[in-house]
Amino acid sequence: MKSNCGQAPQRPHEMDELLEHIWTFREKGKEINKALLTELGFENLPKWLQSLETEGLIKIQGEEIHYTKTGEEEAQDIIRRHRLAERLFADVFNTSEETWERQACELEHKSVLTEEATNAVCAFLGHPPTCPHGRAIPRGDCCHEYSHDLKPFVTPLSEAKIAEHYRIVFITPKHHMRLDRLAVLGVLPGSDIYIHQKKPSYVVRVGETDIALDPEIVRDIYVKKAA
Amino acid sequence: MDDKQTEVLSDKSPKVALVGNPNVGKSVIFGFLTGRYVTVSNYPGTTVEVTRGVADIEGQKVALIDTPGVNSLVPMSEDEQVTRNILLHEKVDSIVQVADAKNLRRALLISVQLIEMGLPFLLTLNMEDEAASLGMEIDKNKLSEILQLPVTGAIAIQKKGLKEIRKKIFSSKVSPNQMRYSPDIEAVADKIEKLLPTAPISRRSLALMVLSGDKSLFDWLHAKLSDEVIRQIDHIRGELSGKFHEPLAYVINKQRMKWVESILEKVVIKEAGARSGLLAWIGSVSMHPVWGLFFMLAVLVIVYYFVGYFGAQTAVGWLENGLFNTYINPWAKTFFAKIFYFSPFLQDIIVGPYGVLTMALTYSLAIIFPIVITFFIAFSIMEDSGYLPRLAIMLNRIFRMMGLNGKAVVPMVLGLGCDTMATMTARIMDTKKERIILTLLLALGVPCSAQLGIVLGMLGALPLWATFLWFGVVGGALVLVGFLASQIMPGQRSDFMMEIPPIRKPTGLNILTKTFARLEWYLIEVVPLFVVGTLVLFFLDRFKVLPVIQRAAAPLVVNFLHLPVEATEAFLIGFLRRDYGATHFFDLFREGKLDAIQAIVSLIVMTLFVPCLANTLMILKERGLKTMIAIVGFIYPFAFLVGGIINWGLRL
Repeated sequence: MKSNCGQAPQRPHEMDELLEHIWTFREKGKEINKALLTELGFENLPKWLQSLETEGLIKIQGEEIHYTKTGEEEAQDIIRRHRLAERLFADVFNTSEETWERQACELEHKSVLTEEATNAVCAFLGHPPTCPHGRAIPRGDCCHEYSHDLKPFVTPLSEAKIAEHYRIVFITPKHHMRLDRLAVLGVLPGSDIYIHQKKPSYVVRVGETDIALDPEIVRDIYVKKAA
Repeated sequence: MDDKQTEVLSDKSPKVALVGNPNVGKSVIFGFLTGRYVTVSNYPGTTVEVTRGVADIEGQKVALIDTPGVNSLVPMSEDEQVTRNILLHEKVDSIVQVADAKNLRRALLISVQLIEMGLPFLLTLNMEDEAASLGMEIDKNKLSEILQLPVTGAIAIQKKGLKEIRKKIFSSKVSPNQMRYSPDIEAVADKIEKLLPTAPISRRSLALMVLSGDKSLFDWLHAKLSDEVIRQIDHIRGELSGKFHEPLAYVINKQRMKWVESILEKVVIKEAGARSGLLAWIGSVSMHPVWGLFFMLAVLVIVYYFVGYFGAQTAVGWLENGLFNTYINPWAKTFFAKIFYFSPFLQDIIVGPYGVLTMALTYSLAIIFPIVITFFIAFSIMEDSGYLPRLAIMLNRIFRMMGLNGKAVVPMVLGLGCDTMATMTARIMDTKKERIILTLLLALGVPCSAQLGIVLGMLGALPLWATFLWFGVVGGALVLVGFLASQIMPGQRSDFMMEIPPIRKPTGLNILTKTFARLEWYLIEVVPLFVVGTLVLFFLDRFKVLPVIQRAAAPLVVNFLHLPVEATEAFLIGFLRRDYGATHFFDLFREGKLDAIQAIVSLIVMTLFVPCLANTLMILKERGLKTMIAIVGFIYPFAFLVGGIINWGLRL
């Protein structure tokens, strides 16, 4: 079978990087100027700024730098991809902070994560509002739909409703022991789960087994509504 | 094993093990097959120790083993390890896997592993009535066909299906229907298998246990294999685990579950419907955030009336005044006066004020006995009905403050019956830290039933504020000490992850046998200590040692706690049994030697006081010398300190 994995034409990563930095600086309420960007230590900063301006992503007025409308949209998408990727690798896969930060830098480029894929990740994560550092994740089209009618694809069991049926999608426990214990009780991805009550302790039903659980454990079980 | 029972077995007698998930009725079946009683309850994890007995099957004597319930044969707790080790080390000839018919999924998860081990077994679907009442229907023939094993049905508690088990126990089979894992796991399992030693269970199953990261196999492997081979195994395992982002044990479990689901699809004719009926309703209400509290209160009131009123007052009245003081003691006094006319000393030992009969036996049989019986009946009902796990749900939060979790409810409530017995069950907690905290709290502030009966009797005669004060101080001390201990001690609190069994109607016979078994244990434990305690008091009194000790303890008892000098005697005897000491205070109180403040102070000190001798020995046995010394060394000054503070506060 012919591989479809040929390289798509892409913008040099340094340019994405700069767009991203301008975003975070602006988020912190800083005036964006050449001096500030110089501190980042980019090689050939003038050249990259020049390219950004040529592509119509930023406007340079003397020392000051501003996004153009397209530039701002592009930057927003990069930030969105970056922060969603952080969430994915931090919360779902439980990788180390070093790993999820590096992964996010790899995945933030449009040439890596398409818009459709980004929205899928966003939905999968339940349209999270912030990244693990607590900074806002720019909303995508999928999130706006969410505010009208779409329910999040996956939610922690702790957010699920009482007396409704769910299916377990994944479990992200703090330690393996917990995972194994849950597994042998039948609490595994693919199992149907039903919340009997949340207080004074969580009681869930898997198959015909009722299990009382600590809230910490329930928070680590991600579910979607059963069809 | 009972000596009487083992005699009939020879080395050639076949060995059969009962294996299954927790709370599926293994012990009930064991009891019926062997004619022996084992503790049965509606509570997962009742069988902590392995029980062995002899069953007469088709004219043949069989060594039957009742194993602790397991959810997996890759052990995650002590009891699971016990069961796996029996299969690993003892050559069992046949296995009866007992399953809860309505929880077939979880049972089959064990079946997969038994098949993997290459052990012959038959599968018994127990509690078919419960499954039927949920509208569930299972095709046993189809299941038997797929697993290629005999499958039987049973309602063990009604003795249904036992005949079939007997008949088929030896037609159990090694199922050829091995589950296949994904190719990467299979390949690695094959490789590891070749490096492993032979054992009573298949090497394939051992390889999968190793892949699951079973740490409990560590010693066994090291004893059988060279370090070089173990390194090799580690290496192979490491390579495979690199391929998955999830732990291998989990990947394996997931694949097993998939296999199980594929079987369920074929054998479950009708899924369980919604639960209904009175028992299901009670089950829900008793753990409801609001109604559950009322339910708890109602249970408390009923138990109080049964134990504290009927047991501690009505029944004690009959026995103490009606039987002992009216008939036995006067009669014994004249009788022994005649026999030992030559020696008033011998008379006093038996029927004097500190006599074995007049004090020790009257106390233990007339006062303590009725309280303990009624308590154990009440406890057995709570246990068999399945209320205790629901109580655990209600109290989980409070227990978490004390560094424990809801699971601790069983030992804590049992402690209200007998702390010694409860200390033994502290094993059900998962971590060492929790076991120590639980042991400490039991020794510190959980009054046993006999003591509680007396405390309640005294409180009943005091103004209402005394009850609240006593309850507040003792409860506060428990929470505070538990909290501090959990902060100071290293180690972890374990997860609260508890199976909640359905509410079941307790059967009268089981309640009675269980109460009787506990009572027997209690009598053997208690009466000798009462006698010893009385003898100690007798000699102390006779040789005038008592006044010396009373004088020595005066600064503490009289000055610090403002109690009459006779109170020393009660504390002294309290070392032997707390309830005995409390009884002493009760007498002082009835004789008018204590005022209200003195009464409440003595009650608090006595409740928090050092555990009785039996409990102390049990702490030594279960937790070791160092922990025992630390616990006793803490409680003793603490009890007096709290008593002193309360005394000082009330006299301000």
